[in-house]
Amino acid sequence: MTVHNLYLFDRNGVCLHYSEWHRKKQTGIPKEEEYKLMYGMLFSIRSFVSKMSPLDMKDGFLAFQTSRYKLHYYETPTGIKVVMNTDLGVGPIRDVLHHIYSALYVELVVKNPLCPLGQTVQSELFRSRLDSYVRSLPFFSARAG
Amino acid sequence: MADAALFEFLHTEMVAELWAHHSDPGPGGQKMSLSVLEGMGFRVGQALGERLPQETLAFREELDILKFLCKDLWVAVFQKQMDSLRTNHQGTYVLQDNSFPLLIRMAAGLQYLEEAPKFLAFTCGLLRGALSTLGIKSLVTASVASLPTCKFQVVIQKT
Repeated sequence: MTVHNLYLFDRNGVCLHYSEWHRKKQTGIPKEEEYKLMYGMLFSIRSFVSKMSPLDMKDGFLAFQTSRYKLHYYETPTGIKVVMNTDLGVGPIRDVLHHIYSALYVELVVKNPLCPLGQTVQSELFRSRLDSYVRSLPFFSARAG
Repeated sequence: MADAALFEFLHTEMVAELWAHHSDPGPGGQKMSLSVLEGMGFRVGQALGERLPQETLAFREELDILKFLCKDLWVAVFQKQMDSLRTNHQGTYVLQDNSFPLLIRMAAGLQYLEEAPKFLAFTCGLLRGALSTLGIKSLVTASVASLPTCKFQVVIQKT
């Protein structure tokens, strides 16, 4: 069980942060293009999911999975989107993504006077705390499973 | 406490506002902004110095006043006590805070080191103001070696 990578977007589609831990295959396109692709896909899926839902929707789009990986999604009312790719053995991790938002992003970026909102996060503290938090998760193992 | 976040955000905006309207971004302009911040802190410190000491009636000596700053004043403003107080017993005191709340969210090391003094100016004034209400004229400066640890140096001015 492992975590492959993590994206953090703001409400305008700016990629605030990207980290990867175990990624064997790259997309082959430049990083900027990759972020745009990811954001565009999320935007489309969200509206698709709410339009086509046969019942009243509570939380909306949560995750999708393929035969090799699972993509987990969490969005806040302010439009901050946390996207984490893990392998298939991982169940719902909404609380983990919420913790990344509230205890890491809000505490270390929003409350940091030197981090302008709406731009890629430069704070080393945020990067290292996020890294140690993800490595401490029960479903993260140092060897890719 | 939600109030701590309010003060932090307000302080962040104060610093940002003073730096945004810089017509002179060189060292002269910087000094002006730092002294404006320090002046604000001084007036707040004067008021806090009047309002805070309720139970502690008689400060027998300077050291008691400094201890009051480290315990009661720091707890009232930052919800924690100062981590260490040292003195040379000749009017110079060094107050050290190992996890200063206004710096703790910024970095844990050397990133942002040049920007740190801006965020300490108000607090230096705060200390100087509180001391002045309690009858002590002083000069307070701050230094940061690595975030979030910072030291405030208080030099008592003998008239």
